[in-house]
Amino acid sequence: MTKHTEARYEFRIFGLDLQPYKQKLAELSEKSQTRQMQWVYLLATGNTDNNVKIGEGVTDIKVLKERYKGLELWSPFFVREFPLHTDVIKTVVFSALGVSNPKFSRIEYTLEQFIAELITPDRNLPVAYVNKKRQGYYLNDCIAEIAEIIVNGAFIKTMCIESENPEKVLATKKLLGIDESLENVNYPLALKRIMGLVGLPENWKK
Amino acid sequence: MIKEKLNVEESQAPRFEFRTFGRDFEETAFLMSRLSVPVPRQMWERHSEEIYIVSRTNDVNNTKIRDGKIDIKTFVQNVDDLEQWNPLLKGEFPMKVEILKKEIFPVFKVHIPKFDKNEYTLDGFLKIINHHPDLQAVKVEKERFGYMVNDTICEYANVWINGAMLVTVNSESTVINDIKKTINDIAVEGIENINYLQAIKRVIGWIEKPLAN
Repeated sequence: MTKHTEARYEFRIFGLDLQPYKQKLAELSEKSQTRQMQWVYLLATGNTDNNVKIGEGVTDIKVLKERYKGLELWSPFFVREFPLHTDVIKTVVFSALGVSNPKFSRIEYTLEQFIAELITPDRNLPVAYVNKKRQGYYLNDCIAEIAEIIVNGAFIKTMCIESENPEKVLATKKLLGIDESLENVNYPLALKRIMGLVGLPENWKK
Repeated sequence: MIKEKLNVEESQAPRFEFRTFGRDFEETAFLMSRLSVPVPRQMWERHSEEIYIVSRTNDVNNTKIRDGKIDIKTFVQNVDDLEQWNPLLKGEFPMKVEILKKEIFPVFKVHIPKFDKNEYTLDGFLKIINHHPDLQAVKVEKERFGYMVNDTICEYANVWINGAMLVTVNSESTVINDIKKTINDIAVEGIENINYLQAIKRVIGWIEKPLAN
């Protein structure tokens, strides 16, 4: 799994009709690649500033550092492979989720033990199983993607533009004809909406 | 004869139902369209926006709200993996608190919350639902295409649960053998019977089970 270590400004949308953007990206993009991967997102309702997910046995936490002109700056915070030591789960993972620590009965946890013993029993920690099929693009010094995703069995699409330079992201938004009024929705928020953990805005429709 | 059969859509006779959810039922949709007798124009394509109320402690009552009207069906029995649901009650918002306390909330099989008004609009009711730890309101949009195969009412539908898309197919009738033949004819034999409540609970993460595909 390739990991980036620098913080990036991000603009992301979710919906089912992303064809106009896909067409534009295909026309303007310099290169593209496709990746498919299964993720488990941990979605504590009170947590809005940490994106906690697990993929290929690796815990990946990103932190929301800043909001700037409708963009979000997400910074990689923690990447570590299971098994995880209880101290790490306590001080890093549960701390990021913003929920109180459960009772631990082991010194370290495999991914299966972590999910079955610490996450599933806690109603405050809903889980989204997300399969992503991502088509990557590179344009205007930004990374972009269109992804088909399956959330707990249901289908939706997402598009994202990201860069370390926020002005580049804003310029790329314009280049793709993205309406200024379009809401920037990060992954945890979109998943929480689909799972009914937060209210739906009026424009959150099929 | 056909007219009489087609009127079953409006009849109140409790029907058995096979329904399943997934993301790809293209072959089933094709078979339904080819095997169907002509159906009334109003069944060709229907769009609706509904709110389902799901309860963590209840899988036997199906509550949905459409156009400000609440419609609750109750599970009667399962015969050969087909489910029979009966209409239980219908009501309209605004709703008197007495009806909410004595008729609606008992259906959810959860603790009855405190009410501070004599009457509730739909918005007021949904606020109570969303504050309740064991209840959740789920937005469901449907695009339904109706057919009639082997004298059973069938549909292929695109369904959006809080914005994420699924496909559902179903066959329903008062005659079990007609449904069984249809299940075979539309190539869904051996696929799990998944009702709306189950599908919604799986998507919102309350039940950790996969859908049909």
